Amino acid sequence: MTREDIPQGTLDMLILRTLATSQEGQLHGFEIASAIETVSSSVFVVEEGSLYPALQRMLVQGWIAGEWGRTADNRRARYYRVTASGRKQLERAMKSYDRVSQAIAAILNITPRGT
Amino acid sequence: MRSLLRRLSLLFNREEATRDLEDEMALHRQLRAESLHRFGSADADAAAARRFGNAVQMTERSRDAWGFGGADAFWQDARYALRRLRQRPGFTASVVGILALGIGATTAMFSAVDAAMLRPLPFARPHELVTLNRLNIPFNPGNGREDNEQAFDITSAMAMRDLFSSVAAYASGGLNLDDPERPRRLTAGVVSGAFFETIGVQAARGRAITPNDGMVNAPKVAVLSWSYWQEDFSDHEIIGTTIPLNGTAYEVVGIMPPGFSFPSGSDVWIPMSIPTTPATFQPFRGWLPSNIIARLAPGVSTDAAEARMREAWRRVVSTYPRQPGQKLSIDAQLEAVLTEGAAPPLRATLVSDRRSALLVLLATTGLLLLIACANVTNLLLSYGAARARELGVRSVLGATRPRLLRQLLAESVMLSVFGAVVGVAIAPVALRVLRTMMPAQLTGVAPVQLDLRVLAFATLLALVTGILFGLWPAFGATRGSTVSAIKAGGGHGASASGARRSQRILVAAEIALAGVLLVGAGLMLRSFERLVNTDSGISADAVATLELSFGGPGVRTPAGAVRNSRIQRLESILAELRRQPGVVAAGAVNDLPLRGGGGIGISVSVEGAPDSSKQYFPRYLVASDGYFETMGIQLRTGRLFAAGEPDENVAIVSKSMADIYWPNASPLGRTFLFGGDPPPLTVIGVVDDVREGGLERDPGPQMYLLAKRNLSANAAIVARSNGRTTDAALLAALRQAVRNVDPAQPVYNVRMMDQVVGASMAARKANTLLISLFGLLAILIAVLGVYAVAANAVAQRAREFGIRAALGATRGDLLRHVGGEMLLVVTGGVLAGATIAWAASRVMTGLVYGVTVHDVGVFATAPTVLVLAAVAATIVPARRAMRVEPVEVMREE
Repeated sequence: MTREDIPQGTLDMLILRTLATSQEGQLHGFEIASAIETVSSSVFVVEEGSLYPALQRMLVQGWIAGEWGRTADNRRARYYRVTASGRKQLERAMKSYDRVSQAIAAILNITPRGT
Repeated sequence: MRSLLRRLSLLFNREEATRDLEDEMALHRQLRAESLHRFGSADADAAAARRFGNAVQMTERSRDAWGFGGADAFWQDARYALRRLRQRPGFTASVVGILALGIGATTAMFSAVDAAMLRPLPFARPHELVTLNRLNIPFNPGNGREDNEQAFDITSAMAMRDLFSSVAAYASGGLNLDDPERPRRLTAGVVSGAFFETIGVQAARGRAITPNDGMVNAPKVAVLSWSYWQEDFSDHEIIGTTIPLNGTAYEVVGIMPPGFSFPSGSDVWIPMSIPTTPATFQPFRGWLPSNIIARLAPGVSTDAAEARMREAWRRVVSTYPRQPGQKLSIDAQLEAVLTEGAAPPLRATLVSDRRSALLVLLATTGLLLLIACANVTNLLLSYGAARARELGVRSVLGATRPRLLRQLLAESVMLSVFGAVVGVAIAPVALRVLRTMMPAQLTGVAPVQLDLRVLAFATLLALVTGILFGLWPAFGATRGSTVSAIKAGGGHGASASGARRSQRILVAAEIALAGVLLVGAGLMLRSFERLVNTDSGISADAVATLELSFGGPGVRTPAGAVRNSRIQRLESILAELRRQPGVVAAGAVNDLPLRGGGGIGISVSVEGAPDSSKQYFPRYLVASDGYFETMGIQLRTGRLFAAGEPDENVAIVSKSMADIYWPNASPLGRTFLFGGDPPPLTVIGVVDDVREGGLERDPGPQMYLLAKRNLSANAAIVARSNGRTTDAALLAALRQAVRNVDPAQPVYNVRMMDQVVGASMAARKANTLLISLFGLLAILIAVLGVYAVAANAVAQRAREFGIRAALGATRGDLLRHVGGEMLLVVTGGVLAGATIAWAASRVMTGLVYGVTVHDVGVFATAPTVLVLAAVAATIVPARRAMRVEPVEVMREE
């Protein structure tokens, strides 16, 4: 079970970012998964299914909204878009991510290696 | 806020949302499979599923996101548990039955304990109320002569304003309602003026008794209980009218609120004055059974009050004038105060002697419940082996261990909740049984009822028991490795032998607990046996009795004319009675034996005997001629009272009294001064000791004075039948005799003397019966446990036995193997139980009679009974083990 493979907040951030930056503005689950896969190029080894609990969580939070529609080949799918509060959340998450990664980078730089 | 709304909408559209989610995930896998297929994957569907991960788990986690955390999962678990339990109705029914028994009994017992000991008394700030033990109330006989010049009494406590903000006296007695059509005896609470103010209770209608009503010459007023008012008067306005009680008109000034009943059972309250006057004594049998209650002043603790009162007692006693080495009656009072406490909390006084019985009974039901839990745990463990496989499958399907644990606990909690529901449903029945069995223990200031508190207790009990018996098997069942559980096919795995070990420990524990209960039951039964065989001094067969109270003023010191008319009435009644068919003997006494209550002791001075260092207060009884013959009290020497005794100043003494005052000589013809007052009384006979306060109390010295000389207002009339008359006819004759003399004379407690004896044993009988019943149930459940474990062990190890048999083990070997194993378990349990019982039996000290709490007979019998029962329970499974056919077992594999 690989539930802990990717931090929950990080997955949320990736999804929000994917939705926010997509040209269509609306993506269904498989499209989100494919987009993350393309961008992250297997950095994250994630069971694709874990996308759905994350989506449900964010739906309840109100960060994203879902709407049922039809795919190009007329299959029923739920399309997600990011809401205003979702955008704010993304901003917050990116900022804190930056802070944390900068701090980690700083620590790694000043720590002498190989002693 | 909005997320809450979204959650709520998901809660109501749960199925639709789940369907949507599943559709969505299916589409994902389908699209993935198609894409993989395009890239030339061979088994695209399987690969897509692998990449997707565990769909069941994903759905589960998504639903977690919708839910209200635990509450949501709880319902899911509950639904699943319900389904599982429905699949096994037999198992479910037996577990629920066992638990219902335990929870029902414990709940009923708790409601009794709650009413008596836990619930706040229905008074204002009840924790501030204390009882002042052994304080007298001054008496003013009205002839200008005050007794007890400067004694330590209620007025002394009233003067301690810094300690008590209010002090009051109360006593419970009886009054005749003078209604020619419906003569009736009422239970009267006789209370000093400050009583209602002290307890802080107001009347529902009108007013309660106030300090002004307690003045010596105040107008006579009465307050009615709500239930008495409802019964007799509710159809009309009663306040302001008068009711005739003992020949005096009392103005009804108020009605107390429903349920108010203190002192217990009061129909009516009337004021008593302080100091008391002869009129105060009307409702009582010659003495005032007074209690003194006080409210602590603000900021005074019960401990502080106790200390101050003890100090005051010591100081008062030290100021009494005395010769060196002389013992005074006040010394005995002081001693009693120092042991009983000078100012104990009111609640402690009210529950006093019922306390240990109630607690032991509650502990008993608690033990029973524990045994029931252990047994249910055992049953769950037996099923654990079969469950292992199911759990293994579910864990492969993605259920985590905490999830499975929660599931199993949900099942056990659900079982215990069902047990509690059934238990609470049978609790009122149990309570009704309790009420008929032990009315005396259950009537108190607060009514015994199944209310929200009791329900809350039962709920808590259910949750605790559910977790208690469910946790162990749940941990055990989810511990094993998944794969082995599925492969093993149940029964032979390593977890099965672990479960067997747990089961053996549990059965040993059950037997130990059952042993403790059995010892308790044994002690109660032995005590009861001793009690039944106690010589009461009377022969109650074929004796009927009724009680009556001659109304009118002046009970304690009746004026000459009143006294003469009473004696005439009593003698007419006895004469009428002796004329009734079937009556062979009749007599009267002021206080029936074994009727309970105290009675009074009076100091006597014996001529010629030196002042002994120990003070005795022989019980003073008043009897007519014919009383001893009727009651079957044996004459030892001398003679009994004769009809028309010429000299009034004669007395009959009990054997104990004769032994104390005339140890080395015949008491016949000797004289003594009754209460120190002349003229002296001459002893004409010695009779056997009679148990008075109760069968369990040793009779002290007793003396009988002639009714003609010392008649009190209250009398019990007794009649003995010729043995051929029915009880009903005898009782009717008794009533008829009184009616022939005065049709308006109320009579009460018309019953056979057997019933009086029975009533005096009722409390012990009820306690004995209950504890024995619980003991019996405990053995039953424990034996069931032994049987289940032995049977389970044999069933699981049939293969092993088959192999052993094939290798040449004889049937005897196998029997010894199974039997030896169980014997070890049983012996361990019995020894542990006996040890616990030995250490804990001190709590029974107040409950045993005639035996010690470490009675050797009981401690030998109880373990023997248990071992025998356990052996009996092992025989069937052991015989099955003997009959295992090696070939068949091998073939099954």
